[in-house]
Amino acid sequence: MIRHPLAWGVWATAVLAAAFVDRNPYFQVLLLLVVVNVFLPYRGRRRVGTWKFALALALVPVLFSAALSRFGRHVLFTLPAIPIIGGRWTLDAVAFGASTGLALLLTVAAFAVLQTTVRSADIVAILPRPLYRAGTTVALALAFAPKTLAAFQSIREARRLRGQRTGWRSAPALLMPLLLTTLERALQYGESLDARGFGSGRRSRYRPLHWTAQDVLVLIASLAAIVAIAVLPGVPYNPYLELMPGVPNPDQWLAVGLLAVPALTASLLRVDHAPHHA
Amino acid sequence: MGAAASAALIAGFLSIRPAHAAIHHAALVIQHASGSVITRCVAFAEDQITGLQLVERSGVPYEAQSFGSIGTAMCQLDREPSTVPSGCFGSGPYWQYFHRRGAAWQTSAFGASSSVLRDGDMDGWHYAAGANQVPGNVAFASVCAAPAPPTASATQLAQAPQHTTPVPTATPAPSTSLEALAPSDSPPPNAVLTSTGPPAQPPKATALGPWLAFGSMAILLLTLGAVNLRRRGP
Repeated sequence: MIRHPLAWGVWATAVLAAAFVDRNPYFQVLLLLVVVNVFLPYRGRRRVGTWKFALALALVPVLFSAALSRFGRHVLFTLPAIPIIGGRWTLDAVAFGASTGLALLLTVAAFAVLQTTVRSADIVAILPRPLYRAGTTVALALAFAPKTLAAFQSIREARRLRGQRTGWRSAPALLMPLLLTTLERALQYGESLDARGFGSGRRSRYRPLHWTAQDVLVLIASLAAIVAIAVLPGVPYNPYLELMPGVPNPDQWLAVGLLAVPALTASLLRVDHAPHHA
Repeated sequence: MGAAASAALIAGFLSIRPAHAAIHHAALVIQHASGSVITRCVAFAEDQITGLQLVERSGVPYEAQSFGSIGTAMCQLDREPSTVPSGCFGSGPYWQYFHRRGAAWQTSAFGASSSVLRDGDMDGWHYAAGANQVPGNVAFASVCAAPAPPTASATQLAQAPQHTTPVPTATPAPSTSLEALAPSDSPPPNAVLTSTGPPAQPPKATALGPWLAFGSMAILLLTLGAVNLRRRGP
């Protein structure tokens, strides 16, 4: 199983580089297939929301581009002179928005994979010594937001069970218990850090992170993919100039293939999730 | 099923790609500040050319200035203005660039070096002050009325006399295709073909290699996805 955060970090960097360097739709579609393939073996049961968010985010540039851009040769329809949205709506603008949306979808998808596969504690554990304190603080701060949201939902559910209102009008009544819960959690964090000797030195680990053969393989493949993306020229795509994209050079599929290594190893080997609970 | 879908996808993409045509024509309309209009019909062997290539191949003298990634600006066209202002643009009128869409002119979203013309397209230039000063209405058929002789070969074309000498002060890339210079303001508007480069290459067949590579990669990934989908997540 691939577990090392550095291996996943380099893989995600390679995916993001590919997503933003090359906007060719054929390349983007294959890249999306790769990311979905990597996500599938590690997927959890409550990760559908991330993909819904990513799909909604991908539609935004399509709508904006179609509604606001008046350029292009392939006119879909023409609206009367309405402010902002009036005029020619073109297929070229839709294609440009779709290309941008795909890049955004790939970005969220890459982070969805990271969120699923990497624990924040593992990232903190591999930070260099000078960054350890700052890293722990940032990790705690980042964890605070979802915890606060979860507390807010718990308070709402509790009010609902008691037959009390949970709409916007009840927001002041929700705010006080939320503030108290948040303060209590902050105190717990402080005590927890104090009990674990935060600031006295690097924490030891019950199960230290070791590089596995799969970790090394993914790291090497991802680095090679970054080199391939940087060295091999892409086929540029600008729908305003040429609506139909040119098929990328076969050399570029090399980068896509290298990024699929985590999916290949996962399909060949059994994915063991037990160490996540260590 | 995945293989069939991918094969259909590849076939669909292949069918969308246009086949090469023999010779294409694009029209150029230049309207001076005085209102005088000159037109040119340019023949080209490629699928498409840029707006700057159209001007270059029309034989109309021009001076353009590159602004890096923004594109190329037209500073002087057909010797108007008489002297090129410093920085290409002066404070008064300037060359405005349009594309013909249907029966109307449309302001170009790109500079001439980035815009694309295909067979039957028409570009318009108007030297005027103020935004969106479109040139006068000119039909494509009136500019490109005289088709090129169907039996003309590249060798014969190269021997044809050249009507005008292009004097581009910019440094455009050498042309490798057929050119037609047909001044429509001089009756009759017969197209005269000439060649300034090697004979046009025969149209290339659509390369199947990249499409096969794309299809194979897509099938592999779909298969891998099906395998991974059957494995239960945590």
